[in-house]
Amino acid sequence: MSVTHKTVIGLNLKNHLKAVAASLVAAVALTLPYIHVSGEKKSIPGAIVQLLSGSESTAFIWLLVGAAIFTAVSAALSLIGMVKMSKPLACIWQAAQALSLIFLGLLMFSTRMMLKEAGITDNFLNKDLGAGYWLAFVSSFAALVLVMKVTKTNVGYIALTILGVIWLFPILWIVLTAFRAEQGYYVGYFIPKGFTLDNFKNLFTNQSVLPFAKWWLNTLIVAACSCVINTLIILATSYVLSRTRFAGRKAFMNILMIIGMFPGFMSLIAVYNILKGIGLNQSLMALIVVGAAGAAMGYHVSKGFFDTIPKAIDEAAIIDGASRLQIFIHVTLPLAKSIIVYTVLGSFLATWSDYIFPSMLFGDKQSSYTVAVGLYWLTDFKRIDTYYTQFAAGAVIVALPIVILFIWLQRFYVEGLSGSVKG
Amino acid sequence: MKAATTKRNILTTFTKGDIFSKLSYILFGLSNIRNGQVLKGLIFMALEALYLVFMILTGGHNLAMMRTLGTSTQGMTFNESLGIYEVSQGDNSMLILLSGVVTLVITGFFLALLLFSVYSGEAARQAKELGRRPNTFLEDIKSLANENIHFLFLSVPVLGLSIFTVMPLIYMILMAFTNYDQDHQPPGNLFTWVGLKNFFTLLSGGDRLAATFWPVLGWTLIWGFAATFSCYFGGMILAMIINSKGIKHKKFWRTIFVITMAIPAFISLRVVSTMLGERGIFNVLLQQWGFTDHALPFLSNITWARVSVILVNFWIGVPVTMLMVSGILMNIPGELYESAKIDGAGPFTMFRKITFPYMWFVTTPYIISNLISNFNNFNPIYFLTGGEPLTLDYYKGAGKTDLLVTWLYKLTKDSNDYNLAATIGIIIFVISAIFTLVSFSRSNAMKNEEGFQ
Repeated sequence: MSVTHKTVIGLNLKNHLKAVAASLVAAVALTLPYIHVSGEKKSIPGAIVQLLSGSESTAFIWLLVGAAIFTAVSAALSLIGMVKMSKPLACIWQAAQALSLIFLGLLMFSTRMMLKEAGITDNFLNKDLGAGYWLAFVSSFAALVLVMKVTKTNVGYIALTILGVIWLFPILWIVLTAFRAEQGYYVGYFIPKGFTLDNFKNLFTNQSVLPFAKWWLNTLIVAACSCVINTLIILATSYVLSRTRFAGRKAFMNILMIIGMFPGFMSLIAVYNILKGIGLNQSLMALIVVGAAGAAMGYHVSKGFFDTIPKAIDEAAIIDGASRLQIFIHVTLPLAKSIIVYTVLGSFLATWSDYIFPSMLFGDKQSSYTVAVGLYWLTDFKRIDTYYTQFAAGAVIVALPIVILFIWLQRFYVEGLSGSVKG
Repeated sequence: MKAATTKRNILTTFTKGDIFSKLSYILFGLSNIRNGQVLKGLIFMALEALYLVFMILTGGHNLAMMRTLGTSTQGMTFNESLGIYEVSQGDNSMLILLSGVVTLVITGFFLALLLFSVYSGEAARQAKELGRRPNTFLEDIKSLANENIHFLFLSVPVLGLSIFTVMPLIYMILMAFTNYDQDHQPPGNLFTWVGLKNFFTLLSGGDRLAATFWPVLGWTLIWGFAATFSCYFGGMILAMIINSKGIKHKKFWRTIFVITMAIPAFISLRVVSTMLGERGIFNVLLQQWGFTDHALPFLSNITWARVSVILVNFWIGVPVTMLMVSGILMNIPGELYESAKIDGAGPFTMFRKITFPYMWFVTTPYIISNLISNFNNFNPIYFLTGGEPLTLDYYKGAGKTDLLVTWLYKLTKDSNDYNLAATIGIIIFVISAIFTLVSFSRSNAMKNEEGFQ
């Protein structure tokens, strides 16, 4: 009872006893059955002994050892803390508890492989994990949460770590595949057996079969032109709609809204025919022109931003004799840096990843493909086995500059996004 | 003086105007010439003449042909002078419809010119009556950089939208009232007007089409709501965790999640799609890890596939909401939380009573526009499942995860049933319009309230 009355600076001892209890339960659970194998029950220490004495060795044994050691260590630390609690001790305990949880969690993913490698059983499923394992796992988790409360650490870290792993998993997979030496779509393992740069080289050397360099260049040209032209159009449109009042302004905005409610590619076939009529079909020019033609539809966000710039600035400039055009160029644009970046980034990304229109426009003309169409073409079921690693390499090459750009300019993007809600 | 300053609209300009004003309805620019703007008036006249010439030469014919969409089918005719059969060029219904629409849009511009010239002439007349000198042509050009900047800035967008958005849209809308399906493909065959028949077959016909349409619509609605709200709440919770006190390196955590957002959707979706395949890495790992002893049908079983697309969309959509919500969360006054804390509210109560109502209030328009864009969310479905698993219950090509938009796309691209595609497009428009109207009435209602303070 005396423990609850103690106070230690920097710690919150309200949950201390519960944490100790959970930590001890986890340690006790180590002696309970961990797996059921052919009617036989084994605890974690028992499994370690059996695996060490067995003829076949397995690389996974260090997971078992780690789980056992860290669970025991954190239980021991929790007992020491009962006697004398201090901030550094609590932090070490927390780290041990986190490691214990991580190792116990990894056991869930590795037990089957471990038993298989050791030649014990081949058809083990996680539903055969024993009650001792689940008790250890759950109480270790509870102990970690409670210890984090004692050290006043935000419990959100646990959630963020788990979510972060899930979110990065597919990305990690595609990066690993891009460097994978073994070709083919189907491989029975996550980490490649050999690493190579050939996938990247093949993309740029094998031009007759796979004109990736051409695709990349096509996309870059279109995206660069589009983002300049579209940005100018969007900024001009939203400036006029935000800062000036003229007959038909409301009507124009309503018409744009109504047009926007039709699914965009419903009319692609007609656009295609019109392009054919002016002789622009199957050319990159068509992508730029059509993109620019529809750009004004995306005026909302920047209009919302221009609305927030005080009107008094404009009025002062008008009194000084500036024309509207001068105000736009010399007053409004310099104030709208973040929205310019947002618009440029947005139109660059949109062109870069547009698939439907280019795929319809170019059909079989592979030399005009953009990366989106080309990479999709590579994952066709006829080609996926041959080109999967190249596809992964291409995906990395395409995504990397954008990711860097995006992370670098994230701030502007956030401002634009929150602007879109207000606007 | 007083009479001159009163504003005249397009009707009163005619009824109250002098003979020149009246005549300028027929001869554009006459009023401008009369009032000293000779060059401007002549330009109006020239444009009018150009339109009339166009209408006489081709436009009138184009419009007349639209009535039937062509009568002579392409076929073999006997050429008596040569004594052989040769292919006779028939009418091409598609081109007839297209040129008809072009003519309609040009006529629309002509009507705009009519309005513009009348207003312009009236302005010149009023200026003269007031004793001011009407603008010279050079001054008119200069005004483009100033009070008439909207003409300068909007000319390109209006032109672009007219040619590449409005014109194709009218064309496709008209197509919903024809029988331009796979059996009526020009140039070999003609298609013609059928009125509302497509709508009836799609909505209430007893055959496959109606049996496809309603389930696809149902799934589209389920998908829209599930995708929108899962991402909304997921993103909100994630943003709250990252923004909560005591989390260090907020930027680092945010960046981890933003990476998925920065990768172009077609790449991440294609990658995930290959990962979810029967021999994909997810199935390999799950079997290796001992979670299952057979491959799971992530994309091949109806229910699995539907859940998978919603989950993958969650993976892609949560970071967007997270970024957006982060900005708003910082705007919630901190005193609210402090006073709630003093009153003894726990974190859950604070979320329920402060954070959520605030967010809901600020983001309602965003949610509704997000809902509409999710109904039309082509990418996740097309790149992940391509609408599959296919089913025999549906009209050919449509699958169990197909949304209305992806079905529309398949109808245009694979089976050439343009009339059905156009009909579906119009139905999608109606659905979007309904949701937008609801959104408008709601946001108006909220503007009237004091709202969340």
